[in-house]
Amino acid sequence: MENMMQGVMVKVKTWARVNSPWAIHYNSGSCNGCDIEILATLTPRYDVERFGIKLQGSPRHADVLICTGPVTLQSRDRLVRIYNQMPEPKFVVAVGSCGLSGGVFQGCYNVVGDISEVIPVNVYVPGCPPRPEAIIHGVVELLKSLQN
Amino acid sequence: MDTEKALQLAESRLKDFIVSANRPEENRLDVVINRKDLKAAVSALLEEKQWGYLSAITGLDNAAWKVDETSKERSLDPDGGSLELLYQFCYGAAVTTLRVSLPYDDAKVDSICDLISSVTLYEREAAELLGIEFIGAPNTDRLVLPDNWPDGVYPLRKSFTGLENTAKG
Amino acid sequence: MDFNTAPEKFIVPIGPQHPALKEPGHFEFTVEGEIVTNATARLGFVHRGMEKGAEERTWIQDLYLMERVCGICSHVHALAFSLGAEKLAGVQAPPRAQAIREMVAELERIHSHLLWLGVAAHEGGFDTLFMYSWRDRETVMDLLETISGNRVNYSVNVLGGVKIDISDQQADEIRKGMDFLEERTKHYLKVVTEDETFLGRTRNIGVMDSELAVKLGAIGPTARASGLKRDVRYDAPYAGYGDFPVKVITNKKGDLEARFVVRIEELFESYRLVREILDKMPAGDLTVKVPRRIPEGEVISRVEAPRGELLYFMKSNGSDKPERIKVRTPSLCNWASVLVTAIGHNLADMPMILAGIDPCFSCNDRIVTVNRNVDSSQMDWEDLRRYGIEYYK
Repeated sequence: MENMMQGVMVKVKTWARVNSPWAIHYNSGSCNGCDIEILATLTPRYDVERFGIKLQGSPRHADVLICTGPVTLQSRDRLVRIYNQMPEPKFVVAVGSCGLSGGVFQGCYNVVGDISEVIPVNVYVPGCPPRPEAIIHGVVELLKSLQN
Repeated sequence: MDTEKALQLAESRLKDFIVSANRPEENRLDVVINRKDLKAAVSALLEEKQWGYLSAITGLDNAAWKVDETSKERSLDPDGGSLELLYQFCYGAAVTTLRVSLPYDDAKVDSICDLISSVTLYEREAAELLGIEFIGAPNTDRLVLPDNWPDGVYPLRKSFTGLENTAKG
Repeated sequence: MDFNTAPEKFIVPIGPQHPALKEPGHFEFTVEGEIVTNATARLGFVHRGMEKGAEERTWIQDLYLMERVCGICSHVHALAFSLGAEKLAGVQAPPRAQAIREMVAELERIHSHLLWLGVAAHEGGFDTLFMYSWRDRETVMDLLETISGNRVNYSVNVLGGVKIDISDQQADEIRKGMDFLEERTKHYLKVVTEDETFLGRTRNIGVMDSELAVKLGAIGPTARASGLKRDVRYDAPYAGYGDFPVKVITNKKGDLEARFVVRIEELFESYRLVREILDKMPAGDLTVKVPRRIPEGEVISRVEAPRGELLYFMKSNGSDKPERIKVRTPSLCNWASVLVTAIGHNLADMPMILAGIDPCFSCNDRIVTVNRNVDSSQMDWEDLRRYGIEYYK
């Protein structure tokens, strides 16, 4: 476990030197489990900001949209609007099982489910919720694919 | 206050309105009342020393079902059934529920917001999910359903099986 | 108090912990000059249709569904559901299972209160306190992961008991964690009751006296901070709370400071309870059998979530799927208290007053709207939060 963690952190440092992505977070109706793990990445144990990954407020300055939740009908339009406000090149990381398939909410009357039915998704991070390390790994995989 | 004493106190305060009463669990009293008596019954519980607090308003669709002889599958009987509102008051471990039955074609009941201002959110929820009208409610805006949800479609009714299956959808 | 919608709207998205984390929903505050004169709410961005979904899933599937009403208090949702199903089935989970359920519930309360402490601190501009409390919170996250395998959504409940056991080694780790957190919490109590800037944002702000709390039907730490001795663990003990009772923490002051103090003192009580359960854990089975088809009946299951009373009304029809599951989450009860206590206060106090009831975002989602009758400038949550911080400099 230790070595894997170190491996991830080395990769993150490399990519942070190359890119300093600005991310925006959007909750499309999640139970908050994923959101608090995303938030945990900012706190001292994971401290993702020291790698230059910055979570900030406006879509107009964002490179990456980190989206949680199964896209409730009410949140769908706003999700599309936020995506459209982001400048190119832009990327989407769907965090959590809900964004993959609707998770446990699949089939419920007020959810869409898979985020890619609403906006294009580049990376899915499955889990209910995924650990902070997994979330960071997902973002790293995205950055790796940007470099190529 | 001792749970049994609390339930007896509730029953005595509601005595003028009881259509039927029973104890589904040791700590619970269910009282069926006529809808015209709702405000009076709630006032009776709130008078002087308030009997606990209103913890929730649950809406039920007591739909009628017919069971097919051979397949044993059930389907909705459109001629039967009714809606029901449960006003659930808690006092320590004791729970008193006022039960009000409402016909589908006349699902109206008085709002109790002037007695307990905080119930507006509960009433709005029951209104849009089950299609119950609260007469005199101060706010009837959408609470949880999306803005573009079709009118007249009540998802918690047994007759709702998904937007794609709804005639109006 | 008027709950009518006001004409002009300014959408202020609530950003619970970090400026970039915006929670979707809708509160409207009407402001005249600096003073809030009216407030109302519109929810719906997190409405998933779970109560209907529960009717279409089996009792066992619903256990996993109900856990995810809220990621912060997932265990108490599953607990309320399991207890209700067990009552309908006429069975009782064995004492060891009930004790473990209570212990996990208290560990969850610890994580939730520490999370809230960080959030509330951030709303007031105390980011150092936010970082420290979330760092310390990792201790209890590790403990929960050690015993259940997951940091969030621990899923220890099954219908009829629990699926995990606590080994001696795990018990020792938990005790060490409690000791560490107790030391840290003593420090937080000092900050919250002695730091001048903090007190400026919390002392005598958002006062709700016990009479008003009764009238509004307030519950949970918000009610207890107004002097009401109202706690489901004490009023109607469930799970292991009969054998391992809780001491109800109250505070007569009824202001924001009281709400902070009550939650921090509840942390101490949780540490004590966890230790007591570990020391006196009853031996025995972890589960009792529950039939796949639950007998007909109606049951009310009430538990004390970190935010207050959680009520489940459950109706079975004799099949393997429920007839009706109604979930009344604690935050819905406490909104009324916010909407009332907000009136007459400065706009700058709104972030802290809202944080003071520990609103659970997915139990009820909301956006805060600021209505300014005078001009039509928009204010987002980050602006509102900074406004509050600047106002009190």
